[in-house]
Amino acid sequence: MLSTVISAMYLVLWVSSCAFTSAADQYMTRALRLMSETPLIDGHNDLPWQLRKQFNNELNKVDLNTLETTHTNIPKIKMGRLGAQFWSAYVPCDTQYKDAVRQTLEQIDVVHRICQKYPETFMFATSSQDIMDAFHMNKTASLIGVEGGHSIDSSLGTLRTMYHLGVRYLTLTHSCNTPWADNWLVDTGSEPSQHNGLSHFGKQLIFEMNRLGMLIDLAHVPVAVMNQVLDMSRAPVIFSHSSAYGVCQHKRNVPDDVLKRVKQTEGIVMVNFYNDYVTCSKTAKLSDVADHFDHIKKVAGASIIGFGGDYDGVTRLPEGLEDVSKVPNLVAELLRRGWTDEEVNAALGNNLLRVLRKVEEVRNMCNLKPCVCLCYQLKFCANTPDSLCFALRICAAPRTLFLDKGEVNRVYTSTSVL
Amino acid sequence: MTDDKVHLHWNLQDTGVELESSCRLCAVVLQSVQKVSFQQTSLNMSCRKAVTSASSNFSLQSLRHLLILSSLCYLISGFSERDRAHHLMTTYPLIDGHNDLALQLRIHHNNRLSQIDLHDVSKLATDITRLQAGHVQAQMFAVYVMCGAQEKDAVRLTLEQIDVIRRMCTKYQEFELVTSAQELKNSKKIACLISIEGGHSIDSSLPALRMFYQLGVRSMALTHTCNTPWAESSSKLYSVYQRQNNSLTHFGKAVVEEMNRLGMIVDLSHTSWETSLAVLNHSKAPVIFSHSSSYSICNHGRNVPDWLLLELKKKRGLIMVNLHSKFISCRDEANISHVADHFDHIKKVIGAEWLGIGGDFEGAVSFPKGLEDVSKYPALIQELLHRNWTEGELADVLRRNFLRVFEEVEQVRNELNSIPPSEVQIPMEEVQNPCRLVLRPPDPRGLPSDQGPSSGPPGLLILAIVLLPSSVFLIE
Repeated sequence: MLSTVISAMYLVLWVSSCAFTSAADQYMTRALRLMSETPLIDGHNDLPWQLRKQFNNELNKVDLNTLETTHTNIPKIKMGRLGAQFWSAYVPCDTQYKDAVRQTLEQIDVVHRICQKYPETFMFATSSQDIMDAFHMNKTASLIGVEGGHSIDSSLGTLRTMYHLGVRYLTLTHSCNTPWADNWLVDTGSEPSQHNGLSHFGKQLIFEMNRLGMLIDLAHVPVAVMNQVLDMSRAPVIFSHSSAYGVCQHKRNVPDDVLKRVKQTEGIVMVNFYNDYVTCSKTAKLSDVADHFDHIKKVAGASIIGFGGDYDGVTRLPEGLEDVSKVPNLVAELLRRGWTDEEVNAALGNNLLRVLRKVEEVRNMCNLKPCVCLCYQLKFCANTPDSLCFALRICAAPRTLFLDKGEVNRVYTSTSVL
Repeated sequence: MTDDKVHLHWNLQDTGVELESSCRLCAVVLQSVQKVSFQQTSLNMSCRKAVTSASSNFSLQSLRHLLILSSLCYLISGFSERDRAHHLMTTYPLIDGHNDLALQLRIHHNNRLSQIDLHDVSKLATDITRLQAGHVQAQMFAVYVMCGAQEKDAVRLTLEQIDVIRRMCTKYQEFELVTSAQELKNSKKIACLISIEGGHSIDSSLPALRMFYQLGVRSMALTHTCNTPWAESSSKLYSVYQRQNNSLTHFGKAVVEEMNRLGMIVDLSHTSWETSLAVLNHSKAPVIFSHSSSYSICNHGRNVPDWLLLELKKKRGLIMVNLHSKFISCRDEANISHVADHFDHIKKVIGAEWLGIGGDFEGAVSFPKGLEDVSKYPALIQELLHRNWTEGELADVLRRNFLRVFEEVEQVRNELNSIPPSEVQIPMEEVQNPCRLVLRPPDPRGLPSDQGPSSGPPGLLILAIVLLPSSVFLIE
């Protein structure tokens, strides 16, 4: 009798686990199907930084097919169904006022070289169309984002040339103030505000980025900058790797009221997987990340959500999302939580594509109908024959502004690193 | 409304403390700029008298016959030398090797193209109207940053100069930016090429070189008036990176190789003769002197001695004659005849197929009488015609030689296309300076998103925990 009961229990357990597994499999199957229809576009990956740190950018010394010391390699990318990636061209804040520009060029160069070295996996991309073309060829579209305004050394000419080199977003600050923008550490109180957000030059930079068609990335900026940019920008903005402050009160995350403004302006918040930003502690699980997705959907809707894992830019990642191959599990989890196919497709890639297309549209409109004035905030617009441009408050004439001497020469303690 | 608070840091007069501590070139005094702004003076062009037939002692009848015959010949040929020059340049418009308009835009206008109309710029030697009058079909515009920016912000300044040329060449419909020999040939406008003047612009970084190429740069002079850590200048103005018997280092050779691989023209103007020779021996593609003249005619260190011309010819290179008076006559004044002497001499030593013109307008102050600005090139061609240069030779000098060299450089690039981008890096000891950061060894906390307030290094704690039992084990 007892043995019968025990056998029955085992049977029940086995059947239920099978059911559970098949249900889980069902979500995974759905997830993989959706990921074959819509590219997963991840907003931020620091593999280029790892290549610099570990290999001095010497690609001949590394094989991305077998590399084990990073979160990202080619087999993991394939397993993770990564459709498009913004590779981060990041250089440390220590390089500010030193050789930041050259080092940034070197990081941009390494992304180009990765695409040249592994052409069957990567396709260099600079537009929404390129992303779709790569996806249809079963390659990972590779875009570039520069992480930190210190990389442009306060120079619009440098910004423009980097755009020409393929850079499609600029994170306005990393973890240091620039001569024209405060960084997120100001919100923690550990650094003083120098500009109350953006300086005059910083605002001109926003207009120039709109004119160029460069995405404005607000990850790493303080709330004041978030709001100022949302006020001014004529194109939608992105957070390439930030999560929800409503779930974890870390100053790198996005507060609910800003989420609503992002929704109003049709931007995107690409959720970061770093444990410290997900659970505000050193450990996290995949479901904690899904909580951020749920929260943003609840506060502002699924139309502003994306994936910005920050792989290879952080050391602590959630259980279940340890590397780029695991992301489909997160997609399955969202489905399990009742996300519709449409919502999941939006988060995977449609939201980012929408944002990118809109940014490109603003750029195209501006170039077709040039203004003749240097204008900002409407106050100084004069002699604008083009009423559309007037309404957009953007000039097609590129700006050539240099910093006020006082802005450049604020006192920063320079760290000696030699 | 312009923002008149902002200043171009090049124009800052009160550099203050920041000059010593900063890695930003807070320049300065414009007279320290090696290229001085050109002061355009208006000149009356001297007219050449048409060749007249000699008077003769023939009989009146013969004279009449002669006159009729001459008139007929004149009618048939239809051209004076001046007309011939213009006609020739209409068929073979000039490709000029060097113009510093971008520098003038920086000095005078802070690169603000909105402040200037490039159709007619009276204070400069170059504007669109005069380029057209001078039959200039293609112009290599130089991206130049001061040697003082070496080890500081030369890279950023270089990007800004590349940016201004790109903007200039897209803003004006008379200009067209080109990046290949084919595009140059096809262009119906004034084709703009971008060249960098001084290897200090790449900050000893091959990736930077590659990115400049991607931005459209198709030629680079390895030095300006300062040595780089890897090549030597003909000028001893700056006592930096001085070496013994090492005019082109291992890294310098890597630069040349990468330029060959990319298809970027190597320019030896401003380099020392030893560096030039080393480059000629190392480069797989032909090289040029974009704006240098003949040392035999005027023994200025910027010019090229005959033995080096012969080496250049062996390697199928090109010397584009600089028109600046100091390099032409070795004095502050010169005339067209002096200039033509350089051409004659170089033709005599190596032949007309290795010659071109690199005016150096906007990069220097004094130019020969009759060649004061970019509209005056036909006067030079006229003089050469007068000296019995054939139209074929002149067509070569005007453009065909440059096109041949450019195409050969592209051919070498095509042959090298299986070679991956170079990963050679300059040894730190050759280039160490306070503005160049050394990448520190990996810090467990030093990852991009990990930066900021953090708890202590967990790695050490774990290590201690691991070591403790193993030390116990060892003791046992």
